[in-house]
Amino acid sequence: MNPTIDYHAILPELILSGTLVVVLVVDVFLRPPRKWLAMPLSFAGVLAAFVATLTLIGADRTTFGGSYHVDPFAVLFKVFFLSVAMIVLFLSLRYFREGRYYQGEYYFLLLSSVLGCVMMPSSRDLLMLFISLELVSAPAFLIAAFRKNDPRSNEAGLKFFLIGVLSSAVMLYGMSLIYGVTGSTNLYEIGKALAGHLGGQETLALAAILFVVTGFAFKVSAFPFQFWAPDTYEGAPVPVTAFLASASKAAGFTGLLQLMFVAFIHQAAFWGPVFAAFSIFTMSIGNLVALQQRQAVRLLAYSSIAQAGYMLLPFALAGHGVDKEAFAAAVTYILIYAIMNLGAFAVVVAVSRKSSALLIADFAGLMRNAPLLALAMTIFMVSLAGVPPTAGFWGKFFVFRAGIDAGGIGIALAVVMVVNSVISLFYYLAIPRQMILVEGPEEPMRSPALVTFVAALAAAAVIAVFVYPDLIAHFPPLSTLVGS
Amino acid sequence: MIRLPLVLFFSAVLFSTGVYGVLARRNGVLVLMSIELMLNAVNVNLVAFSQYVRDIGGQVFALFVIAVAAAEVGIGLAIVILIFRNRESINVDEVSLLKW
Amino acid sequence: MAELIVFWVFAPLAVASGIAMLLQRNAVYSALFLVVNFFALAVFFLMLGAEFLFAVQIIVYAGAIMVLFLFVIMLLGVDREERLVEPIRWQRPLGIFLGVGITAEIFAAVRAGVGFAAKAPGGFALVNQGGNAQAIAKVLFTDYFLPFEITSILLIVAAVAAMVLAHRRRGAVSGPPPAGPARPQPDREAEVAG
Repeated sequence: MNPTIDYHAILPELILSGTLVVVLVVDVFLRPPRKWLAMPLSFAGVLAAFVATLTLIGADRTTFGGSYHVDPFAVLFKVFFLSVAMIVLFLSLRYFREGRYYQGEYYFLLLSSVLGCVMMPSSRDLLMLFISLELVSAPAFLIAAFRKNDPRSNEAGLKFFLIGVLSSAVMLYGMSLIYGVTGSTNLYEIGKALAGHLGGQETLALAAILFVVTGFAFKVSAFPFQFWAPDTYEGAPVPVTAFLASASKAAGFTGLLQLMFVAFIHQAAFWGPVFAAFSIFTMSIGNLVALQQRQAVRLLAYSSIAQAGYMLLPFALAGHGVDKEAFAAAVTYILIYAIMNLGAFAVVVAVSRKSSALLIADFAGLMRNAPLLALAMTIFMVSLAGVPPTAGFWGKFFVFRAGIDAGGIGIALAVVMVVNSVISLFYYLAIPRQMILVEGPEEPMRSPALVTFVAALAAAAVIAVFVYPDLIAHFPPLSTLVGS
Repeated sequence: MIRLPLVLFFSAVLFSTGVYGVLARRNGVLVLMSIELMLNAVNVNLVAFSQYVRDIGGQVFALFVIAVAAAEVGIGLAIVILIFRNRESINVDEVSLLKW
Repeated sequence: MAELIVFWVFAPLAVASGIAMLLQRNAVYSALFLVVNFFALAVFFLMLGAEFLFAVQIIVYAGAIMVLFLFVIMLLGVDREERLVEPIRWQRPLGIFLGVGITAEIFAAVRAGVGFAAKAPGGFALVNQGGNAQAIAKVLFTDYFLPFEITSILLIVAAVAAMVLAHRRRGAVSGPPPAGPARPQPDREAEVAG
């Protein structure tokens, strides 16, 4: 019996899988000075997958018996993940070449993780979600520990690994219970089964949802499961941190979005308050701890925890009659967050060439030494704080509006978010203050062209999205995943 | 035929043992073994449910869990060996250069 | 009736070996108790109509994975005893609390729920018709074909992990030498002193 496979629907995945095997094999035949060629090769593969994804715009295809679905939601995130992959490849080239790392293996692992990300938004089956999630995180454990001789990087890998595997186990336990209650692993079937009468199994279903949510809370570093993130981010090579904080985190959120808004939507009255608590604590704790940081990557790590709090907020609004708006707000926020965060990390990569300790004090005088980078960094920081004229403002605005429209607890959450945004201004502006106002040693900084290009591109995008929010905000509402 | 709640209770005990092990043991290898225990509890659940809902999907799921667990153990032990070489210690909180 | 006896023999065995594993000071003993646990679970699989998983459990888990564990334990040194005195005070009580809590949660939830949905009438024998392995293969190579292929990439990743992380290259080191400590680390010095 041959399976009927829609090859067009999985073309991007096929291209990526092919590329990563080619990268691994070609690397063997490259002499050490030429090892960096793995990067252009990977880039070509990602670009090809990107083009293949573009041909799927507007498609609505299911394959593998409904477990894999290519719809507008999936295509939007595939395009996003592949774009992030290209940017991270740009950031990686000089860093890994000059540091004499295992380059071929690095690009192989990065592409594997990207493949997992790309599969994530199409996975409409518990098993498929689980495998995608594993493929996102397993290579990430390794590239987090890639600075082999630095005990801090080793430990970043170990901690990330143990937390990742533990969260998978907890999530799987929940999934197994869901399967038992509903008799299916398909998300749509689960949604249907959980909508109906459960015959006395409501408690078990809720317990199962709690396990799954806890598993994902680890992945997206929500409080109180956030403690691994700062250490891992600090210990990993900076380009890898950029990838973890943007693509890997977004992949966790896409999985969570599908589970919550498709499979568990009828239990929203139960898990909505759980997410409200997650959201409030995650953003508050993230912001308060970020205020005390002196190291740039740690600051960005706590900032990304706080940002996860904002992304969790729309989940708490489910079941208040604004599901579609909340869903679109969450997706928009994730996309905008990734752009500004990647930009900020691009500047950090550039600065890491000067000082590997990456203290905030190391940014002193950047405005004079590298005005373009300093200007871009200022834009990213302002955007992360959610202040106009930047894209970050719209991200917060849509979440805020959804909260107000939901009424009740939504308004309270929206207010907490605004207060937190104001607090966050203090630490976000610490870096621009350092760059502009504090005198640093005068030494013109030479950053790799690709890194500067990424920073400039991201800064331009952040401004452009502020002027035309529809550049991003137009797409999430097209998703057919959530009914109005 | 054994009643399903009995099996579920059994797997819950197994899972809890694993959770305790993850928190209480400090040796990286033992933490990994405790996680294996948790994954096995998941498999018991899946197989038991597979029989009770009369669907082979649960068994296939369990098969994937085993395969992924094998990959994870490979990765985890590689990281443990790496740390051991640099630090001569595999205790999770002894390697805590950064805060746990 | 026979199944009930098997259950009451192997379930306590599995739980006891799991607990014994955690209480062992020596990692090798722990690993051996884990093997006992895996075998007990394999028997469960057989009893629950999963003959294929029964074989896989023994071959992959009790065989391959355990050998890997034992190999690494031996490589790192068997006599390396762990101090069981807990430096982080709250972790052990938290572990007990969570363990008991989860068990109680499931117990309460399961007791409340009676009568699970049954998809196909006629018992599990019908699902397993033509052999358990065939039934699995039929699903594995149609609906779950993509995850099946993706798992292969996951296994390559594991192989690359072993190569990259465990390999020591002479001369060409991976990555720059560690940067000087960014912050003072009082914990470490305290540990050396104690």
